[in-house]
Amino acid sequence: MLLVTSAFAACSDKLDINTNPVQPVTTSSNLRLPGVLGNMAYHLYSHARFSVYHSYYFTNRLGSTRAIEDTWNYNSITRMGAWRWHYYDVGSNVNGLIERAIEEGSTNYLGVAKIMLAFSYLTATDSFGDMPFTEAYSGSYYPKYDTQETIYAGIANLLDEGVAALDQESNKSLVMNSASDLVYAGDLQKWKAFAFAVKSRMLLHTANFTNNYDAVISNVNIALSNFDDAMIKYPESSSDLWEKNLWGETAAQPEWQFADIKNISANSLPTDFLMNALTIDAVAGKYDPRLYALTTPGENKKYLGAKESEGLSDLNLPTGTTYKDFATLTGGFWTADKSPYPFILKEELYFIKAEAEFYKGNATAAFEAWKQGVKINFSRLGIADGESLNYLSSSKVPQDAGELKISDIMMQKWLALYLQSETWVDMRRYNYSATAYPGVYYPKNALKEWGGRNIQRFPYDPQTEYVYNPQEIARLGATARDWCFNPVWWAEKSTLK
Amino acid sequence: MRKFVLFSVAFGLSFPSESYSFTKKEGTLKSDNLTNVLLSSSAKSAIQNTVQGTVTDGKGPVSEVSVSVVGGNASTKTDAQGHFKITAAVGSKLRFSSVGYVTREVPVTSNLLNVTLVGDQQTLDEVVVTALGIERSKKNLTYSVQKVTGDDLRKSNQGNIVNALQGQVAGAQISSSGGSPGLPSEIILRGSTSLSGDNQPLMIIDGIRVSNASINGSVNRLADFNPDDIEDISILKGAAAAALYGIDAASGAIVITTKKGKAGVMQINAGYKAFVETMGRLPRQQNIYTTGTGGTYSQATTSSWGRKFRSDEAIYDNLERFFQTGVTHDAVFNVNGGADKFNYYMSGNYRNQGSMIPNTDNDKFSYLIKGTAKLLSNLELTASANYIKNNLKEGLVGGSSGGWINSILRYPLAYDILDYQYENGDPHYAYFETGKENEAIISPMWSVMNNPRFNNTERTVINGNLVYKPLNWINLNYRIGQDYFNQSYKYAVKPGTPGENYTGYISQSNGNYKNFTQMLNATFDRKFLEDFRTTLLLGGTEEYYEAKSIAQSGTGFLNPDLVSINNIDPTVLKTTESNPRRRRYALYGDFRLEYRNLLTLGITGRNDWTSTLSEENRQFFSPSYSGSFTYSELFENKNDWYGKLRVSYAKVGKDAPIYATNTNLIQNPGLGGGFIINSTGGNPYLKPERTTEFEIGTELRMLKNRLSVDFAYYNKKSIDQIITARVPLPTGYVIQTFNAGSLRNKGIEVSVSGSPVKKENFEWKSTVNAWKNNSKMLEFPGQITTFPYTNAQLSAGKAASVLGEPVLGIVGTDYKRTEEGYVIVGEDGLPVIESGETYIGNREPEFNIGWINNFRYKSFSLSFLWDFRFGGDILNASRQQMMSSGIAYDIGEWRDKEFVFDGVVEQADGSYVKNAKSVTLDYNYFVNNYAAVGTNFIEKVNWARLRYVTLSYNLPKAFTNRYKLGNVALEFSAQNPLIFTNYSGGDPEVNSAGPNAGGTGASTMGVDYGAIPLPKSYSFGINFTF
Repeated sequence: MLLVTSAFAACSDKLDINTNPVQPVTTSSNLRLPGVLGNMAYHLYSHARFSVYHSYYFTNRLGSTRAIEDTWNYNSITRMGAWRWHYYDVGSNVNGLIERAIEEGSTNYLGVAKIMLAFSYLTATDSFGDMPFTEAYSGSYYPKYDTQETIYAGIANLLDEGVAALDQESNKSLVMNSASDLVYAGDLQKWKAFAFAVKSRMLLHTANFTNNYDAVISNVNIALSNFDDAMIKYPESSSDLWEKNLWGETAAQPEWQFADIKNISANSLPTDFLMNALTIDAVAGKYDPRLYALTTPGENKKYLGAKESEGLSDLNLPTGTTYKDFATLTGGFWTADKSPYPFILKEELYFIKAEAEFYKGNATAAFEAWKQGVKINFSRLGIADGESLNYLSSSKVPQDAGELKISDIMMQKWLALYLQSETWVDMRRYNYSATAYPGVYYPKNALKEWGGRNIQRFPYDPQTEYVYNPQEIARLGATARDWCFNPVWWAEKSTLK
Repeated sequence: MRKFVLFSVAFGLSFPSESYSFTKKEGTLKSDNLTNVLLSSSAKSAIQNTVQGTVTDGKGPVSEVSVSVVGGNASTKTDAQGHFKITAAVGSKLRFSSVGYVTREVPVTSNLLNVTLVGDQQTLDEVVVTALGIERSKKNLTYSVQKVTGDDLRKSNQGNIVNALQGQVAGAQISSSGGSPGLPSEIILRGSTSLSGDNQPLMIIDGIRVSNASINGSVNRLADFNPDDIEDISILKGAAAAALYGIDAASGAIVITTKKGKAGVMQINAGYKAFVETMGRLPRQQNIYTTGTGGTYSQATTSSWGRKFRSDEAIYDNLERFFQTGVTHDAVFNVNGGADKFNYYMSGNYRNQGSMIPNTDNDKFSYLIKGTAKLLSNLELTASANYIKNNLKEGLVGGSSGGWINSILRYPLAYDILDYQYENGDPHYAYFETGKENEAIISPMWSVMNNPRFNNTERTVINGNLVYKPLNWINLNYRIGQDYFNQSYKYAVKPGTPGENYTGYISQSNGNYKNFTQMLNATFDRKFLEDFRTTLLLGGTEEYYEAKSIAQSGTGFLNPDLVSINNIDPTVLKTTESNPRRRRYALYGDFRLEYRNLLTLGITGRNDWTSTLSEENRQFFSPSYSGSFTYSELFENKNDWYGKLRVSYAKVGKDAPIYATNTNLIQNPGLGGGFIINSTGGNPYLKPERTTEFEIGTELRMLKNRLSVDFAYYNKKSIDQIITARVPLPTGYVIQTFNAGSLRNKGIEVSVSGSPVKKENFEWKSTVNAWKNNSKMLEFPGQITTFPYTNAQLSAGKAASVLGEPVLGIVGTDYKRTEEGYVIVGEDGLPVIESGETYIGNREPEFNIGWINNFRYKSFSLSFLWDFRFGGDILNASRQQMMSSGIAYDIGEWRDKEFVFDGVVEQADGSYVKNAKSVTLDYNYFVNNYAAVGTNFIEKVNWARLRYVTLSYNLPKAFTNRYKLGNVALEFSAQNPLIFTNYSGGDPEVNSAGPNAGGTGASTMGVDYGAIPLPKSYSFGINFTF
């Protein structure tokens, strides 16, 4: 008994061993920011991974009638990766960073954290629509889903707070440099410009029905005054799967959670819609020089385009056509292991401006912005100035403000933002209209049960939201098999359809 | 496996039974009253004598006792005065058997032999080991404990002790996760109590806790132990029986007692067995259509949705070709002996287990030494050490959901599965595109042969026990022990393997796991007022668990030939360290009051303190109340039968997983490094899970104890379940541990055993264990109504629990139906799929029966166990996957045929008319319609399975004596040789992800997701006793 009694005397201390001795609970801001930024690239990719099929850059090689990319049938997915990348991989790390930055008095990290949270929410809600915002991270397993309108207001607020924090630069702030800030190496002016760029992107989504193009223009002008491309740059060469662009040749899947968003571009083909956009003269075999930057040549050096959702199963393809007769989708400017992953590019800002000015009736300003966007895109892709001038003087594009059509803006933006999910936003704002996207057509293998409607959103994560939050899911109507065909708020309200 | 106990009897050494109450065996032969038999030096001379004597039972002579010479032909019976006369050699043995008495074998030492038989009644005084190793008379037990003897266990010839228990225990649901030596088996007593986490009972060997975890998806660690060392196993099924384990008792306990030395001349036992195993039942494939998608031929896919095979194309029966015949060798050796004050047991086992799966084997060695010394007349010390080496190599590697043979099941028959490698070792791709070799198609055999997984374990279990009896009614017992093992894991992918790891990959870990236990018990046992007896036990225990492991992984071998961490670019090498720890203290008491043999009341209480919960919640009290009433005592003829009623109620618990109360940061493996939040979030508010159980039962013995019946009914409720699961992402976490919900299990267990025939030369003993468990999900947290398990998910159907339904459910999609239940067919002629998921199946069997038979005819004995299962649904995910990839058998039968679905078509006015539209059953139908409906893959399964049949033969003494051998036994056995089932897939015993896999508990029982079917095996064994 003695032994037991003595053991109990010491027991209370000896029971306090439930903290993990080999993992920290908190760490300084500069060690938290890289994870936030790196994960943001994965978050953007998790949307783009599917949206490239919805916005018709890619189509499945085999035209398989069970692939989501062809059928738009999300009813059989196990998980929705993008949901996790926002709330956990970016959001949860941002929250940890915010908490620590406030403790430290690191207003620089605080500001960047808030801007990243805003950007992540914007990316997420544009694909999901209504989402938990006010009750997110509250510990509730069944938080209220806020309307997209509420979330947009919340994002605007986060951006304002972020900019305010950056303006408050204090001497208590930890150093932010290229080791911790993978995007701007600690340049806070650029972060502020980025905040305005996010805001411009957001305002554009609603400007048509809120009649708020002025705000778009003023914000985008502020952004452009100091803007530098926001991108995550991967190393030139690395054998680490974590250090590769997910669109790259390796189709990196560093861990199991990447299985849901596996890059299947090796088994995809460029659509005829993409090839048409990049063809200047089909008969002469003259292509937009960007084709050679965005893609790499196929084995047969041919540039066929595959019908959306049909791939090689399209009977109108020349007999004997194989994948070798198409451009290869990997290894291009945005699709190599070493490619940078864009958050927001400068040309997008010019196209935002062009679209806003276009609807304001300022044709000249619109045309100038449009031309800037195209030029920047050409030069980014490493195309010689001569070639870009040739292109700009070709019949493919308008020669003056008077000729500028909305389709010129939207198609050039679509090419400039190659593979970005933002172009799916644009397509939905225009409800896939042929006015904005000439030649767009409804894919054959989209299931009959969608009734000819276009895909409008992602489903919520079936493995968690449908399990824990059934009442909100039911209230939204998200249990319906065709839930993904209900437009999100800004698409529903859009006057551009 | 032979009863070498015989030898101590044979040499006539005896000891007082009180000091060996641990070893008192049911139905075995004891020398308790053999004081009249003395060993003489002439004992071994083989002169035939006329031996005579009297058989008594202590009260008077016994007539009609069969007397026969063991291994000989002579036999006779005692007369009315108990006299017998028989011709036998000095040194030979006589067997005395009679109904109602324990059979004895007595060596002939002279012409006179007086024998005392002990009534079978005495078997009621059978001692069973209960919680904390307390030995109790079964007679007065107040709760149900089922005992399995080591001999019964060994008849099944299973290397994994958990598998050997199949069918032997009413209420134990055992399922192996597949027919590979490296796959774990899971045992669940009285239904699963937790929706996630380990539902398996606590495992105790000789009083100390041992690990039964299956780490890295490898075999459950109880499989390390040598079945040959087991004396018996007590299964504490209910909360009352296990209540003294308190916070660890929610899933019951399995208490294993190993053999110990027996005083007497040294005995040596050596045996060898060889097993041959072949594949059992396999799913069927179609062999009509070749590779392709959407009905179009293409080589660039592993789908079998192409055109029909042409007559000039080879079709390979890949399933048949893949599996091979495995050979296993198993050698055992043990020695035991001792004298009055000291005895010892030593054993060794070497097992080299082959497999029907190529490049898969298991090499196991174990060595146990155990000794007991009586230091003083009232002080006894027992110490043991068990060293085990268990090395596993597995060619097939599954994921956290299972899927072991998916790649084999789906590999196109157009390619030869055995064609995977060139002679120089380079991969032979079945199809590839230049520059995209990493996406090539290759036979799954490539990975099996080149990328096996190694799990090597070295384990040492040490155990010391000191028993001090200062007074005859006080017993102090101190026990200290530790289960320590090192497990190293290595999985490497050879460069050239298509997929993620084309440039090579290695993942290895090395962990040391330690379970330390010390415990002090004081027992006071007094009789008073003649008819009363009280027993009080007070004690305390400390348990400490710690694991330390380092894991490394990296991609890209610098030099393609060297499989080593050293061959990975150091900048991409990932290293992680983990160090979980847990400590528990407990104080407990057990009070019992017995009134004659009529009434027994028991109260126990245990208070636990655990480190895994916050300071406010770390204490947990587990009480139990139980009583028994032996009503047969009220009758005149109470000696002819026995009847007892027992009732108990207990509350026990379960603590939280280690470190689940706070959130940690982990290293950011991505660009820029630093730290990111762990996907598993902490929960500081965790409380212990509670299980309360009411049990009522009866035990009956009649017909002079030739028939015994044990019946139990239980109703147990688990509250505040501790669940570790994927949680809504807006919490900021992916996984979290939380308290949630409650569920109920209730059921009945019946065990009937008897000796229908008991003659001198022929004996038949039979036991039927039958059980049924019904579970129900009573409550979920928040708004949850359906809770799917993450490791058992298909879009069409998944393992899940649904509010108000049985816990081990299946949810999935179904066809849209009218109110009357008719399937609604759309205008396109295809059945319409209903939105959302519903409850579509129950994975829990409706009824289970294990029927054990032991026959003995002269020197032959035959044992077999039939295992019957009625009902319980299987989610045949293997078939669903094979359906999607076009290789399922049904595709061959139905593809491209015209069909009119039996259903109704909705009309504009809301009425229905019978569908008459004929459709072609094409790719689109099978993949997007048939395979998308969960109910198409639910099968209610029955089976009748011969688990084992074992025939053994003891060579005649006359023969063995000639070669100076002791006892020589030959054995022929078959494991799983026969199964009758309505299941359409492979073997219906499925548990895809196995226990502990991804922390999912019982979640995959009844899910067939690429499960490796159980093999059939046949064995031959020989055993010598010297």
